[in-house]
Formats: sequence, C-alpha cells, structure tokens
Amino acid sequence: MLAAAARLAALRGTCLLSGPGGGRGLRSGRARSDTDNMKPLEGIKILDMTRVLAGPFATMNLGDLGAEVIKVERPGAGDDTRTWGPPFVGRESAYFLSVNRNKKSIAVNIKDPKGVKIIKELAAVCDVFVENYVPGKLSAVGLGYEDIDKIAPHIIYCSITGYGQTGPLSQRAGYDTVASAFGGLMHITGPKVACLTHIAANYLIGQKEAERWGTAHVSIVPYQAFKTKDGFLVVGVGNNQQFATVCKILNLPELIDDPKYKTNHLRVQNRKELIKILSARFEKEMTRKWLYLFEGSGVAYGPINNMKEVFAEPQVLHNDLIMEMKHPTAGKIAVPGPAVRYSKFKMSEARPPPLLGQHTTHILKEVLRYDDKAIGELLSAGVVTQHEAE
Amino acid sequence: MLAAAARLAALRGTCLLSGPGGGRGLRSGRARSDTDNMKPLEGIKILDMTRVLAGPFATMNLGDLGAEVIKVERPGAGDDTRTWGPPFVGRESAYFLSVNRNKKSIAVNIKDPKGVKIIKELAAVCDVFVENYVPGKLSAVGLGYEDIDKIAPHIIYCSITGYGQTGPLSQRAGYDTVASAFGGLMHITGPKDGDPVRSGVAMTDLATGLYAYGAIMAGLIQRYKTGKGLFIDCNLLSSQVACLTHIAANYLIGQKEAERWGTAHVSIVPYQAFKTKDGFLVVGVGNNQQFATVCKILNLPELIDDPKYKTNHLRVQNRKELIKILSARFEKEMTRKWLYLFEGSGVAYGPINNMKEVFAEPQVLHNDLIMEMKHPTAGKIAVPGPAVRYSKFKMSEARPPPLLGQHTTHILKEVLRYDDKAIGELLSAGVVTQHEAE
Repeated sequence: MLAAAARLAALRGTCLLSGPGGGRGLRSGRARSDTDNMKPLEGIKILDMTRVLAGPFATMNLGDLGAEVIKVERPGAGDDTRTWGPPFVGRESAYFLSVNRNKKSIAVNIKDPKGVKIIKELAAVCDVFVENYVPGKLSAVGLGYEDIDKIAPHIIYCSITGYGQTGPLSQRAGYDTVASAFGGLMHITGPKVACLTHIAANYLIGQKEAERWGTAHVSIVPYQAFKTKDGFLVVGVGNNQQFATVCKILNLPELIDDPKYKTNHLRVQNRKELIKILSARFEKEMTRKWLYLFEGSGVAYGPINNMKEVFAEPQVLHNDLIMEMKHPTAGKIAVPGPAVRYSKFKMSEARPPPLLGQHTTHILKEVLRYDDKAIGELLSAGVVTQHEAE
Repeated sequence: MLAAAARLAALRGTCLLSGPGGGRGLRSGRARSDTDNMKPLEGIKILDMTRVLAGPFATMNLGDLGAEVIKVERPGAGDDTRTWGPPFVGRESAYFLSVNRNKKSIAVNIKDPKGVKIIKELAAVCDVFVENYVPGKLSAVGLGYEDIDKIAPHIIYCSITGYGQTGPLSQRAGYDTVASAFGGLMHITGPKDGDPVRSGVAMTDLATGLYAYGAIMAGLIQRYKTGKGLFIDCNLLSSQVACLTHIAANYLIGQKEAERWGTAHVSIVPYQAFKTKDGFLVVGVGNNQQFATVCKILNLPELIDDPKYKTNHLRVQNRKELIKILSARFEKEMTRKWLYLFEGSGVAYGPINNMKEVFAEPQVLHNDLIMEMKHPTAGKIAVPGPAVRYSKFKMSEARPPPLLGQHTTHILKEVLRYDDKAIGELLSAGVVTQHEAE
C-alpha cells in the first residue's frame, strides 16, 4: 500500500508539473500500464458526410477521442465552409480549419452511381455514418438509412437535420439563425426590453412568458454586467453576505443595512434603484481596478473578454485551449482545443484539417483495396478527385 | 428479400402513423426482436452529486438513455434550485422540475462521517460518480477521486467545475454568467454598436452539461475496453472556449477580433431578423438565386440586377444601404403575412418565437418536445422533452423529478441493504432525511 501510495504521489507530481502541453495534469488513480493512452474510440471509423458546423463539430469531438474520421466532400468546392471568409490563410478559411482537425478527406461525386458505390463500400467497413442532408435526399441516390442498413446492419446512422425526419417542416434546410429564432433562443436574447420572466419550464409549468434580460438575471440581484470606466465587469451576488462584501468593495456601506436591499427577494423588488446606485459607482473605475479589488472576495466576478483577452488568460492557456498544428499550405495554425480531459488517456494529437481530397487515393487503396488501374479510371471519369501532392 | 421489404414497409407505416407520442416515428431497418427497446444505459447507476444546471442537465440526459440516477442532496434545502422561482407549482420551482426528471433523491449530510460512509458505499455499487464542487472540497471530506478510486476502481468520476482542476482560477466557483463573459461568449452577443448581453438561457452551463454527458459515455466505453475507471475534467471555461470554434479561429488564425452583430451574420448578407409591422422575421439568403427570390417577394425587382448587390461579397460591402431598403419593406406587413409569402420559396426564413409560440408550433409537437408527467405534489407538469430519438429504443418514460429525500429509505434498503434499525438510527441522528410519504 505504501509503495503504491508513493508511486501515486510521484505520478501526481509528474502529471501536475510536467504534463504535456502545460499544467493541466490530471491525477491518475492508478499506476500506468500497457492500456495507457488507449483512447475510447480507437479503432472506430466514422464516415462523415456532414458539412458546415453542427456535424463537423460532432465528428471533430469524436476524433479527439481517437476515432478515425473520413470526411466525404464533393469534388470542386468540397465543404462550403472552405470558402467562408475572410479570414483566409492561404486558400483555407479559418472557419473550415476551426472544426475539421484530424480528419481525412475523400472527394467523391455522389451524383454518379460509381461514387455511390464507393460510399456504400466505405459504409460497410465503417462503424458510424453521419450526414446532414434534407430528409430524402440521400435516399434518392441510394444512400438512405435503409440502403446502408441493408449492406451494413451494424452501422450507427446519425442524421442531423433542421427540424427532424418527419413533420410539417422536415423538408426545410436547417440554418442556425432561423432554428435559433424558431426554437425560442433569439426571443430571450438581447437587451432588456420590458419586464418579467424565464424559459421553457417557466412557461409550460407556470404559464410565465419569457423576456430578454440583457446581462441581468431574472431572479437574482445583482447578477449582471456593469459598465466600468473602460469596459465592463460581471458581478454575481449569490447571498446576502456576498451583497455586503460588494457594498464594502464599492464603498457603499450604507446599503448593507438598508431595509430595501436586505434579502435577494427585496433586491429583486427594488432592482432598478439598486442597480442605478451600483452602476454609478462601477463607472468610476477602470475594469482592471475592479478586478484587483474583487480578487479573493468570495464574490463571483469577471471581465467580458474579447477573443484576444480570452486567449491571453492564464487559465485558458493552462487548460490547453489553444491547439497548435502545422497545416500543409497554411503553415502554423491554432484553433480552440478540446474542452474535456481524461486521466487515463490523452486526446488525439493535433493533426491539421485536410485539403480537399487529400486522402482520396489513400482511402481507396488502403481502406477499400482498389488497385491503381481502378483508381485511375475513377479519377479520369471525375467520380473522385485527388488533391495534388504538395 | 421481397418479404423483408414488405415487412419493412409495414413497420414503417406503423411507426409513422401511430408511433407513441405522435408522429415522430423513426424507420427501423430491421424486424423487431427481444432486444427491442433495450436502452444503451440500462443497468448503469449514476451517483449524482451535482447541483443547479450543468450537472443535472447531463445526468438527466443520461437518465433518458436508461441510466438510473441517484441524486444526492443535502438535508434541509437540497439542490438550491428547488427554491429558484417564481414560478413555483406547489412548493416546487419550475427551474428544478425542468432538469431533474426521472432521478431518485437521497438526502445525506456529507459533513457527517456517517454520511460520507454512505456515499462511499453507494459509489462502490455505482458506475458513475458526477460532482460539481470546487476542487478539493470533496477530497477534504474523503470523497475525492483518490478516495473513491480506492474503493471503486471501476468508477467513472466526472468533475464539473468553473475553470478546471488546477491553474490560477481553479478555486473559483463556477457561474454561467461569469464564465460566459470570461470565455468570450458575452462579448460576441448583443446588438451591433450596443452593449453585450447574456444568451437568454445559460448556454455555457448547457454546453458543459452536454460535454459531460458525452464524456461520461466515453468513459464507459473506455471501461468496457480496459476494465478500469477514470477521472474526467469538465469545466465551464473550457467548454465555452471550445464552442467558440470559428469565431475563435478568426482571431487565432486570422487575427480578426470578434464583434457583436445583433441578429446579423458577419459575412452573409442579408442574414438577420427584420422588424415587421407586429414583430420580426428572420431571413437567410444563402446564394444569389435566393437573393433574387427575396427581392421578388418584397416587390423590389430593381434590386436584382443592381450591380451593388449582385454577389454576396458585394452585398456585404453595401450592407447598410441594402438592409435599410429591405427593412423599410419588411416593416410594412405583419409577420404572418410574410410567413405566408415566403412559404415554399426555398429561402431560409422563420419567426422569432416566444415560449407560447414555440410550444404551439406543429413541428415542435410532432417532435414530442413537450414531456408531460404527473408530479406527486405539483400535479400535472410539462417540461421540454429529449432532443434526440433513436430507431431501436424509446427514451425513458417520463417520471417526475423527486421530492427532496423521496427515495432515501428506499435506496438505503434496496441498494445498500441496510436493515430498519440502522436506517432508523441514521434518520434520528439527522445523517439522512426521508421525505414524508404523501
């Protein structure tokens, strides 16, 4: 037991001080062994027919856990987001680079029956088939669930659509902005308009309609962003003790015993007046002064960071949230890293997003065992395309 | 082959026309068998020490897939959100009811060593341990990962925190609003040339909950392969920053700082909400053909060939002028008139729905997104239903969120095999509490 405890302590020290990529070492509860770093989805093959954001984000996260992601793109343009910019670096858009790391690209024309045949053969040797076409479109070319299930009954076939597989809106393409508005998120986001309350259950259960609250919280006061001399500070008061602390920091001790603000319930009732007083005080100092004054106070507080500030935060760097990699044409790039970390394995190493059709030949040869002649014919006929070697 | 095709067609007909809960039937690629409706997480026990939103949202979603969720609450108040209202129905807050369905509640005082002992015994027979305490707090009472791993090496131990397990901010409690501001989301949300706002529901919390939901399943897959458990670090900050995706990449790769755009899109025009006579309409033009369609619907045919607006690139360049023209036209009619005019146009469009409108939408009802259940004190309640559906099994049936300590005695007896005398002593000492029978 003692030896095990010592080994554990030694490992913990190692993890915390010199873990790869910085300090975000995680304690390992047991000694390292041969199963070390085996990833949960190692050996899993994903045939990724998705485009844009939702699908690629899902498959990217699965790839981080060790899955092999084969991204199917149409010859010529590929995933639309390759052209969504500026900014571009080389010919690649930052948009595409942000959600397509560590995938292989095969460029196949699925309007050609020979291309459909290739997809079916790939499906037969893959574990997962993900797509985001309007319901019926893939069935029309013979790649719907029933078609794939026939030749690959083991397949996990995941469809991502705007509104669902059936129903009155199922034929509409899915756009985030429209779905976000249709699904209620846009109504509740924005500067404060009128008054009142909150979210779905509030409506379903309490018949209370939702409104917009700016940065404020409907039932906790104060809990919002305040303007400072040069920006904003977000402050959240969780209880009366924290309220007193805030009053002290703001040099407003008379508020602490003011009967109008003694409890959260009262602070909610007298919200307007209280927020006016606090706002006037917050505006007097710069954000960094408030960050200094609030440190260690026990109150929840923080800045509103723009992108530059986010990626300069020591905690963000500590959490390995800047993932750097070398891209064949764009050179050195960085994208947000994986959100979750595990004690028993490392996330997949950072491999760059693929060029369009970068792995077409490789996949036909290695995965489907096509010979060079067959591959040559498909290339000539334009059924598939291969990115030129760099 | 023919018989199979016929059977498939028959099943498909059945699913689509009379599937339970409405029309959201999913095609089943094979005949039904004994494994029908076996859920992925059936048999999995989750010891849920989380409170508020991110954690409970994660465990609720795992429960929908068949897992048994044992929610540990402190005697007296329980999960803080039980008091977060109005609205309340009976003594239950809508907030609590919205994210705690189908869980069992055991009320245990973990500041008492006898309570810690109960948690450890439960961990030994559970598969997953989820918690959202500030790092170190559970270790201080003997319930940290090393403590649980010692007695339950198979455990998937998932910690949800504000900023992570280590690092300069690891000791700070995690609040969605603060983390959303710190992590970049608040800066990019709000009107153009206006102040930042919060997303209307705690998206940072929810994203973290979804990451935890996936990570726990990854942990279970890992355990099937290795036989061992592991520790998972989920936190609000990392989840939020990871979700910045292309907005972050614009900065990291293209040195382009992010801004607020209201409802508009930084690089697609027009793609935003327009004021109508009585509300809003969201319209998204994906290509030049769709732009022409919009111009026709708005009776502005002269715009179609106007050189200033011929391509998206040009429309972005001349955004202000174009939006002014389109806005003036949209304001002339009511939203329902525009919805009628845009139907079948091929252009992406839709209303900005409030809650009443969302839950009156035929597609929302069709997707079974109102989940009704009977609560012991609150009566009939409804909450948003599960988002994802599967062809081979149904989601867990709708069982109401628990009263505080509703299942304490049941769990001690059935799961830990305590006898009545032992249970009585724990109740008398206040180590655990049991909700009175209704």
